[in-house]
Amino acid sequence: MIAVSRRSFLAILPIWILLIGGQEIRGDERALQAEQAKSFFRQNCMSCHTIGGGRLTGPDLKGALERKDRSWLKRFLLDPVAMLESGDAYAAKLKKESRGAVMPRAAGITPQVADLLIDLIEAESELEKSEFAGLQISERPLTAIDVERGREIFLGLHSLERQGASCISCHSINGIGGLGGGLLGPDLTKVYDRLQGRKGLATWLAAPATPTMQSIFKPHPLESGEILALVAYFKEAAETGSEAPPSGPLHFILLGLVGAVGVLVIFDVLWRTRFRSVRARLVADQGERALHR
Amino acid sequence: MFEASLNMDLFLFAILPYLSMSIFFLMTIHRYRAQSFTYSSLSSQFLENKAHFWGTVPFHYGILVILAGHVLGFLIPRHLLAWNSRPLRLYVLEVSALIFGLLSLIGLVNIIIRRVTRSKVRINTTPSDWILYGMLVIQLASGVYIAVFYGWGSSWFAASASPYIWSLIKFSPDIGYVVAMPAAVKLHIVSAYMIIAFFPFTRLVHILVTPNPYLWRKPQVVRWNSNRAPRRIR
Repeated sequence: MIAVSRRSFLAILPIWILLIGGQEIRGDERALQAEQAKSFFRQNCMSCHTIGGGRLTGPDLKGALERKDRSWLKRFLLDPVAMLESGDAYAAKLKKESRGAVMPRAAGITPQVADLLIDLIEAESELEKSEFAGLQISERPLTAIDVERGREIFLGLHSLERQGASCISCHSINGIGGLGGGLLGPDLTKVYDRLQGRKGLATWLAAPATPTMQSIFKPHPLESGEILALVAYFKEAAETGSEAPPSGPLHFILLGLVGAVGVLVIFDVLWRTRFRSVRARLVADQGERALHR
Repeated sequence: MFEASLNMDLFLFAILPYLSMSIFFLMTIHRYRAQSFTYSSLSSQFLENKAHFWGTVPFHYGILVILAGHVLGFLIPRHLLAWNSRPLRLYVLEVSALIFGLLSLIGLVNIIIRRVTRSKVRINTTPSDWILYGMLVIQLASGVYIAVFYGWGSSWFAASASPYIWSLIKFSPDIGYVVAMPAAVKLHIVSAYMIIAFFPFTRLVHILVTPNPYLWRKPQVVRWNSNRAPRRIR
C-alpha cells in the first residue's frame, strides 16, 4: 500500500513541480508586468498626472475608475485624440479642465499596456500614499537668491549635483544676452505658464516627459533644491519677459561667415608662394594632342 | 503608423550602424588585400591647380577640425560640458566650429564646381566620386544647418549623442537619445552611417593609409617628369 503510494507520489512529482513552478513563473510575470507598468507611468504619465497628489496639467488619477469605467479609460488611453474628435463629452470636459491641453498618445502604448496601467492606477488609488503622488518640493516663498541660483544653473555657471547638462545647451530664455541659448528644445521664457505653475513645472523637471530629456536626465536627475531654484528662475522669466526674438542664429551665422572668409584670407597669405597654374598651358596642350590622336 | 516609424528608427539607429561598420571593416580589409595600389585619393592637382587650392585646402582643414571636435565630444563629453559651462567659452567654441564647418562646406562646393567645369578633371572623376560628393554635401550641409538652427550642438552632442554612440559600442543600443531629434539631426546621423558604409568603395580610403603623412607633410605637387605625352586621357 505504502509502496504504491510512494510510486504514485513519484509519478505525480513532475506534475507538482510543473504546477508549482508554473505558478511561480506566473507570479514573477505579474510582478514584472507591474514593474513595467510603473516604469511606463514614470516615463509617460508622471509629468502631467499624479495619483493622489492633486492635478498638474492633467487630472489627479486617484479613483479614476470610480469616475469612468475600465473600457472607457482603455479606449481613451489608446487614442485620446480620436476619442476627443469622436465628440465624447467627458473627453471634451477633460480638455477644458486642462486649459485646452490635449493628452498625446503615449509612445509604445498597446491594449495590454493600457490594461496594466489601469490596474496600476486602481492599485495605487487604494494606497494611502502612492509613490506617484508627485514631487513634494518645498512650499516656501521663492526668493531673489533662488532666482539667481536658478539662473546660474540654467547657464551652467553652477554645475548640477548629478552632472546633468545645463539648460542653455538646448534651450534659450529671455534675458541671457550674448548669442542666447540652445535651439534644440523650446524657448523656456514662458514654460512656467505652459506647465501651469510651480507644481506642474517641478514635476516635469523631476521626470521630464520628452524622450530626449528623459534619456539625458534619467542617469543624471535634478536634485529637489535645483528644481526649486529653476522654478524660481522660470517664474521670474515668465513674469518679466517675452520669448527671445529669433535673432541669435542670424548673428551666429554672420560671425561664422566673417570668420570663414578671414581664414580663407589667412590660407591665401600662408600659401602665397604656391604655384599658380605654372603648368596650365602644358596640360592644356598635352590634353588637346592626346584627344586628337 | 506609429509602430512603423518606431521600426524605422530601430533600423536606422540600432541596426544600420552595425551594418555600416561591418561593411566598412570587411570591405576596407578586402580592398587593401586585393587592390593595395588603389589606396589613394588619386590626385588631380596636375590637371588644374588654381581652383584646386580653394577646394582642397579649406575642405581638408575644415573637415579635420570638425571631425576632431566630434571625436572629442564623444570621448570626453564631461570635459566638453565643463568647458561650455561659461556662456562666453560656449560661444567661442560654437563660432569656431561653425567657421570650420563653413570652410569645409565652401571647400567641398569648390571641389564639385571644379570637377564639373574643368573638362579634364571631369573625365577623371568616377561615379563613386560623384556619389561620394553627393553624400558629403548632405553631410556637411546638414551639419552646418544643425549648428545654426539647432545650437548649441557641442553641448547637446556631449549630453545625448555621446551616450548614444557608447550604447552602440557596448552592443546595447539606446535609441531614446535620438528618436525625438529633429529631422535634420536624424539625417546627419544616418548620412554619416551611409558614408561609413560607402567609405571602402571611394577615394576616402586615403585616410587609412599608414604611416599617414597627409596630416603633416607639405602639400604634394604632382609633376610629369617626362616629355612623353600620355597615351590617352582618361
